[in-house]
Amino acid sequence: MAYVATRGGERAIEQAERLFRADMGKITAERVNEIKSAMPYLIDRVMGEASLYDEDLAALALAQTGGDLYEAVLVLRAWRTTQPRLQVAAPVAQDDLFTHRRISAAFKDIPGGQVLGPTLDYSHRILATDVLNGTPFTPAAVEPSSKPAPAYQPSVAAWQAENDLVDLPKLDETHPDDIPDVTREPLLFPSKRAHTLQSLARSDTGGALALGYAAMRGYGQAHPTVNELRLAEAEVMVKHPNGTSFSAGRVKVSQAEVVSKKGEKLELGFSATLGWNEVKCISAATLDLNSKGAPKGSATEEEFYLYHTEGVESSGFCIHFKLPHYVTFQSSLDAMRDAKSKKSIHPEPAE
Amino acid sequence: MATPHSETLTILARSGAEALKSFGEALIPQLGALEVRKSQTGLVMVPMRDTAQGTSFHLGEVLVSEAHIVQGETHGYGMRRGRDLEAAMAMALIDLALQVDVARQECSAFVAEQQSKHLAEDHDCLCRIEATRVDMETF
Repeated sequence: MAYVATRGGERAIEQAERLFRADMGKITAERVNEIKSAMPYLIDRVMGEASLYDEDLAALALAQTGGDLYEAVLVLRAWRTTQPRLQVAAPVAQDDLFTHRRISAAFKDIPGGQVLGPTLDYSHRILATDVLNGTPFTPAAVEPSSKPAPAYQPSVAAWQAENDLVDLPKLDETHPDDIPDVTREPLLFPSKRAHTLQSLARSDTGGALALGYAAMRGYGQAHPTVNELRLAEAEVMVKHPNGTSFSAGRVKVSQAEVVSKKGEKLELGFSATLGWNEVKCISAATLDLNSKGAPKGSATEEEFYLYHTEGVESSGFCIHFKLPHYVTFQSSLDAMRDAKSKKSIHPEPAE
Repeated sequence: MATPHSETLTILARSGAEALKSFGEALIPQLGALEVRKSQTGLVMVPMRDTAQGTSFHLGEVLVSEAHIVQGETHGYGMRRGRDLEAAMAMALIDLALQVDVARQECSAFVAEQQSKHLAEDHDCLCRIEATRVDMETF
Protein backbone atom coordinates (compact mmCIF):
# COMPACT_ATOMS: atom_id res chain seq x y z
CA MET A 1 0.00 0.00 0.00
CA ALA A 2 1.25 3.47 -0.78
CA TYR A 3 0.61 6.66 1.17
CA VAL A 4 0.81 10.21 -0.08
CA ALA A 5 1.32 13.00 2.42
CA THR A 6 -0.94 15.97 1.84
CA ARG A 7 -1.50 19.23 3.68
CA GLY A 8 -3.91 22.08 3.56
CA GLY A 9 -6.83 20.78 5.60
CA GLU A 10 -5.88 22.09 9.04
CA ARG A 11 -8.17 25.08 8.98
CA ALA A 12 -11.05 23.13 7.50
CA ILE A 13 -10.66 20.44 10.16
CA GLU A 14 -10.62 22.96 12.97
CA GLN A 15 -13.64 24.80 11.64
CA ALA A 16 -15.49 21.51 11.02
CA GLU A 17 -15.06 20.55 14.65
CA ARG A 18 -16.23 24.00 15.71
CA LEU A 19 -19.27 23.65 13.46
CA PHE A 20 -20.10 20.29 15.05
CA ARG A 21 -19.75 21.63 18.58
CA ALA A 22 -21.53 24.91 17.82
CA ASP A 23 -24.77 22.98 17.34
CA MET A 24 -24.58 21.75 20.92
CA GLY A 25 -23.58 25.08 22.47
CA LYS A 26 -22.14 25.46 25.93
CA ILE A 27 -21.85 22.30 28.00
CA THR A 28 -22.52 22.94 31.66
CA ALA A 29 -22.73 20.82 34.79
CA GLU A 30 -26.48 21.54 34.80
CA ARG A 31 -26.87 20.07 31.32
CA VAL A 32 -24.92 16.98 32.32
CA ASN A 33 -27.10 16.53 35.42
CA GLU A 34 -30.27 16.98 33.35
CA ILE A 35 -29.15 14.28 30.89
CA LYS A 36 -28.28 11.99 33.79
CA SER A 37 -31.62 12.34 35.52
CA ALA A 38 -33.81 12.46 32.40
CA MET A 39 -32.31 9.56 30.44
CA PRO A 40 -31.23 6.79 32.81
CA TYR A 41 -31.73 4.02 30.23
CA LEU A 42 -29.58 5.80 27.68
CA ILE A 43 -26.94 6.35 30.34
CA ASP A 44 -27.11 2.63 31.18
CA ARG A 45 -26.71 1.64 27.56
CA VAL A 46 -23.67 3.86 27.13
CA MET A 47 -22.07 2.66 30.38
CA GLY A 48 -22.65 -0.99 29.41
CA GLU A 49 -21.16 -0.60 25.95
CA ALA A 50 -18.25 1.45 27.26
CA SER A 51 -17.81 -1.07 30.09
CA LEU A 52 -17.25 1.89 32.38
CA TYR A 53 -19.80 2.52 35.10
CA ASP A 54 -20.17 6.14 36.10
CA GLU A 55 -23.38 8.04 35.36
CA ASP A 56 -21.71 11.47 35.45
CA LEU A 57 -19.07 10.53 32.89
CA ALA A 58 -21.65 8.82 30.65
CA ALA A 59 -23.89 11.90 30.76
CA LEU A 60 -20.91 14.12 29.99
CA ALA A 61 -19.93 11.89 27.05
CA LEU A 62 -23.47 12.17 25.67
CA ALA A 63 -23.48 15.95 26.13
CA GLN A 64 -20.11 16.31 24.44
CA THR A 65 -20.97 14.13 21.44
CA GLY A 66 -24.49 15.44 20.93
CA GLY A 67 -25.94 12.00 21.63
CA ASP A 68 -23.96 10.15 18.95
CA LEU A 69 -23.78 6.84 20.82
CA TYR A 70 -20.72 5.46 19.05
CA GLU A 71 -18.78 8.65 19.71
CA ALA A 72 -19.96 8.69 23.33
CA VAL A 73 -18.86 5.09 23.90
CA LEU A 74 -15.54 5.76 22.15
CA VAL A 75 -14.74 8.80 24.29
CA LEU A 76 -15.61 6.86 27.46
CA ARG A 77 -13.50 3.87 26.50
CA ALA A 78 -10.62 6.22 25.69
CA TRP A 79 -10.98 7.98 29.06
CA ARG A 80 -11.08 4.61 30.80
CA THR A 81 -7.56 3.88 29.60
CA THR A 82 -6.26 6.86 31.59
CA GLN A 83 -7.32 5.30 34.88
CA PRO A 84 -5.44 2.69 36.89
CA ARG A 85 -7.21 -0.50 37.87
CA LEU A 86 -7.25 -0.47 41.65
CA GLN A 87 -8.90 -3.79 42.43
CA VAL A 88 -10.92 -6.64 41.00
CA ALA A 89 -14.12 -7.00 43.02
CA ALA A 90 -15.51 -10.31 44.29
CA PRO A 91 -17.70 -12.01 41.64
CA VAL A 92 -21.34 -11.00 41.71
CA ALA A 93 -23.63 -13.94 42.48
CA GLN A 94 -27.33 -14.01 41.55
CA ASP A 95 -28.41 -14.59 45.15
CA ASP A 96 -26.76 -11.31 46.19
CA LEU A 97 -28.45 -9.06 43.65
CA PHE A 98 -30.73 -6.36 45.08
CA THR A 99 -33.56 -7.18 42.70
CA HIS A 100 -35.89 -4.61 41.11
CA ARG A 101 -37.42 -6.77 38.41
CA ARG A 102 -37.49 -10.52 37.92
CA ILE A 103 -39.75 -12.29 35.48
CA SER A 104 -39.89 -15.62 33.71
CA ALA A 105 -41.68 -16.28 30.46
CA ALA A 106 -41.05 -20.02 30.80
CA PHE A 107 -42.53 -20.69 34.25
CA LYS A 108 -45.50 -18.91 35.75
CA ASP A 109 -44.87 -19.95 39.34
CA ILE A 110 -41.18 -19.28 39.89
CA PRO A 111 -40.18 -19.07 43.55
CA GLY A 112 -40.38 -15.43 44.57
CA GLY A 113 -43.09 -14.78 41.99
CA GLN A 114 -43.21 -12.55 38.97
CA VAL A 115 -42.16 -9.04 39.92
CA LEU A 116 -42.49 -6.65 36.99
CA GLY A 117 -40.45 -3.78 38.41
CA PRO A 118 -40.01 -0.70 36.20
CA THR A 119 -41.20 -1.48 32.67
CA LEU A 120 -43.28 -0.24 29.75
CA ASP A 121 -43.83 -3.81 28.50
CA TYR A 122 -47.58 -3.77 29.06
CA SER A 123 -48.22 -0.10 28.39
CA HIS A 124 -49.60 1.76 25.40
CA ARG A 125 -46.83 3.61 23.64
CA ILE A 126 -48.39 7.03 23.16
CA LEU A 127 -46.39 10.15 22.52
CA ALA A 128 -47.33 12.88 25.00
CA THR A 129 -47.63 15.60 22.37
CA ASP A 130 -49.39 17.93 24.82
CA VAL A 131 -46.00 18.59 26.35
CA LEU A 132 -45.07 20.42 23.15
CA ASN A 133 -48.10 22.66 23.62
CA GLY A 134 -46.99 23.64 27.10
CA THR A 135 -48.78 21.02 29.22
CA PRO A 136 -46.20 19.14 31.29
CA PHE A 137 -46.48 15.36 31.51
CA THR A 138 -46.52 14.35 35.15
CA PRO A 139 -46.40 10.59 35.62
CA ALA A 140 -48.83 9.06 38.11
CA ALA A 141 -47.17 8.16 41.39
CA VAL A 142 -46.51 4.53 42.32
CA GLU A 143 -48.84 3.25 45.04
CA PRO A 144 -46.38 1.40 47.23
CA SER A 145 -47.26 -1.89 48.85
CA SER A 146 -47.48 -2.00 52.63
CA LYS A 147 -44.82 -4.69 52.72
CA PRO A 148 -41.49 -4.75 50.91
CA ALA A 149 -40.57 -7.17 48.13
CA PRO A 150 -37.80 -9.60 49.03
CA ALA A 151 -34.55 -7.86 48.15
CA TYR A 152 -32.75 -11.05 47.14
CA GLN A 153 -33.90 -13.95 44.96
CA PRO A 154 -32.10 -17.10 43.81
CA SER A 155 -31.70 -17.70 40.10
CA VAL A 156 -34.52 -19.52 38.32
CA ALA A 157 -31.91 -22.01 37.06
CA ALA A 158 -31.11 -23.02 40.66
CA TRP A 159 -34.79 -23.84 41.22
CA GLN A 160 -34.91 -25.78 37.93
CA ALA A 161 -31.87 -27.78 39.00
CA GLU A 162 -33.74 -28.79 42.15
CA ASN A 163 -36.49 -30.06 39.84
CA ASP A 164 -34.02 -31.96 37.63
CA LEU A 165 -34.71 -29.76 34.62
CA VAL A 166 -31.18 -28.42 34.24
CA ASP A 167 -27.79 -29.55 35.41
CA LEU A 168 -26.29 -26.97 37.76
CA PRO A 169 -22.84 -26.05 36.50
CA LYS A 170 -19.76 -26.54 38.61
CA LEU A 171 -18.77 -23.21 40.13
CA ASP A 172 -15.78 -21.53 38.58
CA GLU A 173 -13.19 -21.15 41.34
CA THR A 174 -10.88 -18.89 39.31
CA HIS A 175 -9.44 -16.14 41.50
CA PRO A 176 -10.94 -12.79 40.44
CA ASP A 177 -7.47 -11.49 39.48
CA ASP A 178 -7.04 -14.44 37.10
CA ILE A 179 -10.35 -14.19 35.24
CA PRO A 180 -9.54 -13.76 31.52
CA ASP A 181 -10.01 -10.15 30.43
CA VAL A 182 -10.54 -9.05 26.81
CA THR A 183 -9.39 -5.54 27.64
CA ARG A 184 -5.94 -6.93 28.35
CA GLU A 185 -5.71 -10.05 26.17
CA PRO A 186 -6.50 -10.67 22.52
CA LEU A 187 -9.79 -12.33 21.66
CA LEU A 188 -8.81 -15.69 20.13
CA PHE A 189 -11.03 -18.45 18.77
CA PRO A 190 -12.43 -20.74 19.96
CA SER A 191 -13.01 -18.07 22.56
CA LYS A 192 -12.71 -18.64 26.30
CA ARG A 193 -16.20 -18.46 27.77
CA ALA A 194 -15.11 -15.61 30.05
CA HIS A 195 -14.05 -13.67 26.94
CA THR A 196 -17.32 -14.45 25.17
CA LEU A 197 -19.49 -13.27 28.05
CA GLN A 198 -17.36 -10.17 28.66
CA SER A 199 -17.46 -9.27 24.97
CA LEU A 200 -21.24 -9.66 24.94
CA ALA A 201 -21.50 -7.57 28.12
CA ARG A 202 -19.76 -4.66 26.34
CA SER A 203 -21.26 -5.33 22.92
CA ASP A 204 -23.18 -2.83 20.86
CA THR A 205 -26.89 -3.15 21.66
CA GLY A 206 -27.99 -2.76 18.05
CA GLY A 207 -25.43 -5.28 16.83
CA ALA A 208 -26.39 -7.87 19.45
CA LEU A 209 -30.06 -7.33 18.64
CA ALA A 210 -29.57 -7.68 14.87
CA LEU A 211 -27.72 -10.98 15.15
CA GLY A 212 -29.82 -12.25 18.06
CA TYR A 213 -32.96 -11.43 16.07
CA ALA A 214 -31.61 -13.44 13.13
CA ALA A 215 -31.36 -16.42 15.49
CA MET A 216 -34.84 -15.78 16.91
CA ARG A 217 -36.39 -15.61 13.42
CA GLY A 218 -35.12 -19.05 12.59
CA TYR A 219 -31.52 -18.71 11.43
CA GLY A 220 -30.34 -20.24 14.70
CA GLN A 221 -30.67 -23.79 15.94
CA ALA A 222 -32.71 -23.07 19.07
CA HIS A 223 -35.76 -20.95 19.77
CA PRO A 224 -35.26 -18.98 22.99
CA THR A 225 -37.73 -18.66 25.83
CA VAL A 226 -36.83 -16.21 28.59
CA ASN A 227 -36.17 -18.36 31.61
CA GLU A 228 -35.29 -15.40 33.79
CA LEU A 229 -34.89 -11.72 33.15
CA ARG A 230 -33.60 -9.66 36.00
CA LEU A 231 -32.84 -5.99 36.61
CA ALA A 232 -30.95 -5.50 39.82
CA GLU A 233 -28.22 -3.69 41.69
CA ALA A 234 -24.99 -5.47 42.56
CA GLU A 235 -22.69 -4.57 45.43
CA VAL A 236 -19.13 -3.82 44.32
CA MET A 237 -17.27 -5.87 46.91
CA VAL A 238 -13.73 -4.56 47.44
CA LYS A 239 -11.07 -5.02 50.11
CA HIS A 240 -9.74 -2.75 52.85
CA PRO A 241 -5.91 -2.88 53.26
CA ASN A 242 -6.43 -5.08 56.34
CA GLY A 243 -8.46 -7.58 54.31
CA THR A 244 -12.01 -6.62 55.31
CA SER A 245 -14.48 -7.00 52.44
CA PHE A 246 -16.98 -4.22 51.96
CA SER A 247 -19.20 -2.71 49.29
CA ALA A 248 -17.91 0.42 47.58
CA GLY A 249 -21.45 1.03 46.33
CA ARG A 250 -24.09 -0.52 44.12
CA VAL A 251 -24.19 -0.67 40.33
CA LYS A 252 -27.14 -1.50 38.13
CA VAL A 253 -26.86 -4.80 36.26
CA SER A 254 -29.19 -6.74 34.01
CA GLN A 255 -29.07 -10.41 33.18
CA ALA A 256 -31.02 -12.82 31.03
CA GLU A 257 -31.19 -16.58 30.90
CA VAL A 258 -32.85 -18.03 27.84
CA VAL A 259 -33.77 -21.65 27.60
CA SER A 260 -34.40 -24.32 25.01
CA LYS A 261 -35.35 -27.96 25.33
CA LYS A 262 -32.52 -30.37 24.67
CA GLY A 263 -33.33 -34.05 25.15
CA GLU A 264 -34.61 -34.58 28.68
CA LYS A 265 -33.03 -31.40 30.03
CA LEU A 266 -33.15 -27.70 29.33
CA GLU A 267 -30.24 -25.91 27.78
CA LEU A 268 -29.42 -22.38 28.93
CA GLY A 269 -27.95 -19.33 27.26
CA PHE A 270 -26.77 -16.47 29.47
CA SER A 271 -25.82 -12.84 29.22
CA ALA A 272 -25.42 -9.91 31.58
CA THR A 273 -24.30 -6.32 31.31
CA LEU A 274 -23.66 -3.23 33.39
CA GLY A 275 -26.73 -1.02 33.50
CA TRP A 276 -30.31 -1.95 32.70
CA ASN A 277 -30.56 -3.09 29.10
CA GLU A 278 -33.01 -5.94 28.54
CA VAL A 279 -32.91 -6.06 24.75
CA LYS A 280 -29.16 -6.54 24.73
CA CYS A 281 -29.20 -9.25 27.39
CA ILE A 282 -31.98 -11.29 25.75
CA SER A 283 -30.35 -10.98 22.32
CA ALA A 284 -26.89 -11.84 23.62
CA ALA A 285 -28.19 -14.77 25.67
CA THR A 286 -29.91 -16.05 22.51
CA LEU A 287 -26.59 -15.90 20.67
CA ASP A 288 -24.94 -17.75 23.55
CA LEU A 289 -27.64 -20.42 23.48
CA ASN A 290 -27.26 -20.91 19.73
CA SER A 291 -23.50 -20.72 19.34
CA LYS A 292 -22.61 -24.35 20.02
CA GLY A 293 -22.17 -26.12 16.70
CA ALA A 294 -23.24 -23.08 14.65
CA PRO A 295 -22.06 -23.17 11.02
CA LYS A 296 -19.00 -21.06 10.16
CA GLY A 297 -19.99 -17.57 9.09
CA SER A 298 -23.54 -17.82 10.44
CA ALA A 299 -25.01 -15.09 12.66
CA THR A 300 -24.85 -17.38 15.68
CA GLU A 301 -21.27 -18.50 15.22
CA GLU A 302 -19.13 -17.17 18.04
CA GLU A 303 -16.39 -15.59 15.94
CA PHE A 304 -18.99 -13.95 13.69
CA TYR A 305 -21.09 -12.42 16.43
CA LEU A 306 -18.26 -11.40 18.73
CA TYR A 307 -16.41 -9.54 15.99
CA HIS A 308 -19.51 -7.93 14.57
CA THR A 309 -21.07 -6.73 17.81
CA GLU A 310 -17.96 -4.90 19.04
CA GLY A 311 -19.34 -1.39 18.61
CA VAL A 312 -16.17 0.69 18.78
CA GLU A 313 -14.32 -1.49 16.28
CA SER A 314 -17.22 -1.86 13.89
CA SER A 315 -18.26 1.79 13.94
CA GLY A 316 -14.59 2.80 13.69
CA PHE A 317 -14.09 0.58 10.67
CA CYS A 318 -17.25 1.90 9.09
CA ILE A 319 -16.35 5.57 9.51
CA HIS A 320 -12.76 5.05 8.41
CA PHE A 321 -14.17 4.65 4.90
CA LYS A 322 -14.89 8.38 4.98
CA LEU A 323 -11.20 9.14 5.25
CA PRO A 324 -9.23 9.77 2.06
CA HIS A 325 -8.66 6.58 0.04
CA TYR A 326 -7.36 8.49 -2.98
CA VAL A 327 -4.36 6.27 -3.59
CA THR A 328 -6.07 2.92 -3.14
CA PHE A 329 -9.03 4.04 -5.21
CA GLN A 330 -6.78 5.45 -7.94
CA SER A 331 -4.94 2.16 -7.97
CA SER A 332 -8.25 0.34 -8.51
CA LEU A 333 -9.07 2.75 -11.32
CA ASP A 334 -5.63 2.14 -12.88
CA ALA A 335 -6.22 -1.60 -12.78
CA MET A 336 -9.67 -1.12 -14.30
CA ARG A 337 -8.34 1.11 -17.11
CA ASP A 338 -5.50 -1.31 -17.75
CA ALA A 339 -7.90 -4.24 -18.08
CA LYS A 340 -10.12 -2.18 -20.36
CA SER A 341 -7.25 -1.21 -22.67
CA LYS A 342 -5.96 -4.80 -22.85
CA LYS A 343 -9.44 -6.01 -23.65
CA SER A 344 -9.77 -3.55 -26.55
CA ILE A 345 -6.36 -4.58 -28.01
CA HIS A 346 -6.86 -8.35 -27.63
CA PRO A 347 -10.56 -9.11 -27.85
CA GLU A 348 -11.40 -12.50 -26.40
CA PRO A 349 -12.25 -15.12 -29.01
CA ALA A 350 -15.92 -15.87 -29.36
CA GLU A 351 -17.00 -19.05 -27.61
CA MET B 1 -20.65 -13.09 56.99
CA ALA B 2 -20.43 -9.31 57.31
CA THR B 3 -18.27 -8.09 60.19
CA PRO B 4 -19.02 -4.81 61.97
CA HIS B 5 -16.00 -3.27 60.20
CA SER B 6 -17.34 -4.49 56.85
CA GLU B 7 -20.79 -3.08 57.60
CA THR B 8 -19.35 0.26 58.70
CA LEU B 9 -17.30 0.61 55.53
CA THR B 10 -20.29 -0.36 53.37
CA ILE B 11 -22.45 2.25 55.11
CA LEU B 12 -19.81 4.95 54.75
CA ALA B 13 -19.31 4.15 51.06
CA ARG B 14 -23.04 4.59 50.47
CA SER B 15 -23.46 7.73 52.56
CA GLY B 16 -24.20 11.08 50.97
CA ALA B 17 -21.03 12.91 49.98
CA GLU B 18 -21.89 16.19 51.68
CA ALA B 19 -22.78 14.63 55.04
CA LEU B 20 -19.67 12.49 54.90
CA LYS B 21 -17.38 15.41 54.07
CA SER B 22 -18.69 17.76 56.73
CA PHE B 23 -18.46 15.04 59.39
CA GLY B 24 -15.04 13.80 58.26
CA GLU B 25 -13.55 17.29 58.12
CA ALA B 26 -14.33 17.86 61.78
CA LEU B 27 -12.19 14.84 62.68
CA ILE B 28 -8.97 16.20 61.15
CA PRO B 29 -7.80 18.26 64.17
CA GLN B 30 -8.65 15.45 66.57
CA LEU B 31 -6.76 12.82 64.61
CA GLY B 32 -3.46 14.69 64.52
CA ALA B 33 -0.61 13.79 62.20
CA LEU B 34 -1.19 11.10 59.62
CA GLU B 35 0.30 9.96 56.34
CA VAL B 36 -1.73 10.12 53.15
CA ARG B 37 -0.71 7.16 51.01
CA LYS B 38 -3.34 7.38 48.30
CA SER B 39 -5.90 9.87 47.10
CA GLN B 40 -6.89 8.98 43.56
CA THR B 41 -9.59 7.90 41.19
CA GLY B 42 -9.37 4.54 39.47
CA LEU B 43 -11.30 1.52 38.35
CA VAL B 44 -12.63 -1.61 39.97
CA MET B 45 -13.33 -4.51 37.63
CA VAL B 46 -16.57 -6.30 38.50
CA PRO B 47 -16.84 -10.00 37.67
CA MET B 48 -20.06 -12.01 37.65
CA ARG B 49 -20.98 -15.70 37.61
CA ASP B 50 -22.84 -17.09 34.64
CA THR B 51 -25.74 -19.35 35.62
CA ALA B 52 -25.62 -21.44 32.43
CA GLN B 53 -22.09 -22.82 32.73
CA GLY B 54 -20.86 -21.37 36.01
CA THR B 55 -18.06 -19.31 34.44
CA SER B 56 -16.80 -16.15 36.11
CA PHE B 57 -16.42 -13.30 33.65
CA HIS B 58 -15.89 -9.56 33.74
CA LEU B 59 -18.97 -7.34 33.45
CA GLY B 60 -17.02 -4.10 33.22
CA GLU B 61 -15.27 -1.50 35.34
CA VAL B 62 -16.66 0.92 37.88
CA LEU B 63 -15.16 4.34 38.53
CA VAL B 64 -14.23 4.77 42.18
CA SER B 65 -12.34 7.25 44.32
CA GLU B 66 -9.88 5.86 46.81
CA ALA B 67 -8.18 7.28 49.90
CA HIS B 68 -5.65 5.45 52.06
CA ILE B 69 -4.23 7.07 55.19
CA VAL B 70 -1.98 5.64 57.85
CA GLN B 71 -1.34 6.54 61.46
CA GLY B 72 1.24 4.31 63.10
CA GLU B 73 0.18 0.77 62.24
CA THR B 74 -3.44 1.66 61.58
CA HIS B 75 -4.88 1.99 58.08
CA GLY B 76 -7.81 4.25 57.35
CA TYR B 77 -9.38 3.49 54.02
CA GLY B 78 -12.06 4.88 51.81
CA MET B 79 -13.30 3.60 48.49
CA ARG B 80 -16.60 4.62 46.99
CA ARG B 81 -18.25 4.97 43.62
CA GLY B 82 -17.70 8.18 41.70
CA ARG B 83 -14.92 10.69 41.45
CA ASP B 84 -15.28 12.60 44.71
CA LEU B 85 -11.83 12.38 46.28
CA GLU B 86 -12.85 14.44 49.31
CA ALA B 87 -15.69 12.07 50.12
CA ALA B 88 -13.34 9.06 49.88
CA MET B 89 -10.89 10.86 52.18
CA ALA B 90 -13.67 11.63 54.66
CA MET B 91 -14.56 7.93 54.65
CA ALA B 92 -10.93 7.04 55.37
CA LEU B 93 -10.80 9.57 58.21
CA ILE B 94 -13.90 8.11 59.88
CA ASP B 95 -12.56 4.57 59.40
CA LEU B 96 -9.27 5.60 61.03
CA ALA B 97 -10.98 7.48 63.85
CA LEU B 98 -13.07 4.43 64.73
CA GLN B 99 -10.00 2.22 64.82
CA VAL B 100 -7.81 4.54 66.92
CA ASP B 101 -10.69 5.43 69.22
CA VAL B 102 -10.99 9.09 68.34
CA ALA B 103 -14.51 10.54 68.61
CA ARG B 104 -15.81 6.98 68.72
CA GLN B 105 -19.24 7.93 70.02
CA GLU B 106 -19.80 10.61 67.40
CA CYS B 107 -18.53 8.36 64.61
CA SER B 108 -20.73 5.47 65.71
CA ALA B 109 -23.73 7.77 65.90
CA PHE B 110 -22.99 9.10 62.41
CA VAL B 111 -22.71 5.57 61.03
CA ALA B 112 -25.92 4.50 62.78
CA GLU B 113 -27.77 7.53 61.42
CA GLN B 114 -26.57 6.80 57.90
CA GLN B 115 -27.53 3.13 58.24
CA SER B 116 -31.07 4.08 59.27
CA LYS B 117 -31.33 6.28 56.19
CA HIS B 118 -30.14 3.49 53.91
CA LEU B 119 -32.51 0.96 55.46
CA ALA B 120 -35.41 3.37 55.03
CA GLU B 121 -34.43 4.03 51.40
CA ASP B 122 -34.24 0.29 50.69
CA HIS B 123 -37.55 -0.33 52.44
CA ASP B 124 -39.30 2.38 50.40
CA CYS B 125 -37.75 1.08 47.21
CA LEU B 126 -38.81 -2.51 47.91
CA CYS B 127 -42.37 -1.45 48.79
CA ARG B 128 -42.60 0.27 45.42
CA ILE B 129 -41.21 -2.84 43.73
CA GLU B 130 -43.66 -5.08 45.61
CA ALA B 131 -46.50 -3.03 44.11
CA THR B 132 -45.52 -4.50 40.73
CA ARG B 133 -45.88 -8.13 41.81
CA VAL B 134 -48.27 -10.08 39.60
CA ASP B 135 -51.03 -11.85 41.51
CA MET B 136 -51.42 -14.60 38.97
CA GLU B 137 -54.90 -16.05 38.69
CA THR B 138 -55.25 -19.20 36.60
CA PHE B 139 -58.60 -19.87 34.96
